[in-house]
Amino acid sequence: MNIENQFTELYNTYAPKVYKLCLGYASGVDEIAKEWQQETFIKVWKHRNSFKGDASISTWIYRIAINTCLGDLRKSKRKFQPINESILTTPIDSNSKTSTDKDIQKMYSCIDQLTKNNKTLILLELEEIPQATIAETTGISHGALRTRLSRIRKALLKCITNGK
Amino acid sequence: MENDKLNQLWKSQKDNSNTNTPENIIKLAQKQRNGQFLSITILSITVIILIAYTIYCSVYKWNNFTIGLLLMIVSLVFRIALETISLYRKEQQLIALDSKAFQNYLGKHFKIRKIINYGVTPICFIIYTYGFTLLLPYFKREFSEGFYTYILISGFLSIFIIAIIVAFSIRKENKFYEELK
Repeated sequence: MNIENQFTELYNTYAPKVYKLCLGYASGVDEIAKEWQQETFIKVWKHRNSFKGDASISTWIYRIAINTCLGDLRKSKRKFQPINESILTTPIDSNSKTSTDKDIQKMYSCIDQLTKNNKTLILLELEEIPQATIAETTGISHGALRTRLSRIRKALLKCITNGK
Repeated sequence: MENDKLNQLWKSQKDNSNTNTPENIIKLAQKQRNGQFLSITILSITVIILIAYTIYCSVYKWNNFTIGLLLMIVSLVFRIALETISLYRKEQQLIALDSKAFQNYLGKHFKIRKIINYGVTPICFIIYTYGFTLLLPYFKREFSEGFYTYILISGFLSIFIIAIIVAFSIRKENKFYEELK
């Protein structure tokens, strides 16, 4: 398999997950998420020879994605819409399909209130990335990760449900 | 149950990720790399020409003109080299470190950037401007009054514009790093 085909396979496997991760950092702004997703894979291609296989390829790609989003917050501040605080006080409605967009916006508003590290953890978790990979990607021990994730989930659910 | 709600909500988002193709990413990466090579090549050629001209002038006479030219080149090359190294190092860390370590690195990087922005850059700027003023008497003697006035105005105007651009980018950078804390 040549190098282009390998990259295509990697792109097709990880691009949707990287996009969703970036969407989390971009407070749901599609334009920014696409920009960061593109930048991530440009870096993956450019630095493909630097990958030594110390960690798995998925860990390497997620690290690049997260660091790209973390290191480029200037763009985010320029284009992000300010969070509508009133959304947080409206209770979540799981039955109505029309309210899904509002609920998603509410979820992003709550994710935005988390610390950078906690945001990274929950975004990876929501993308159903294995906890071992999350630990390797973020540099947090596996044991501490479980406890933290449980706390973050609780806080996030509380925020989404009660707006606090 | 409650956790499921969160996962369901996350999954209910529309997937708009497939707007780019891997072929396009490769093309963009190559374009970016070519752009970097082109910038380095243009800069290197400019520096070589300026150094060659300085050597050529100094052979005849080592005077304020050659000193001025040398000061301008050295300050400019030094500042650009510092910027390139800083950006290169940041990208190397970005691909190598986990997110926790990268955030720590960004903190250290910010401290170095502060030294560069508030210490090195103003010094380079003063040296560059001083070098330019050393050239002025020679320009006045060699060129017509009209052309000398043009050099004088355009020279200081470009220094002023560069100063504003540098100040603006420093402010933007500071804002970003303050948000990272």
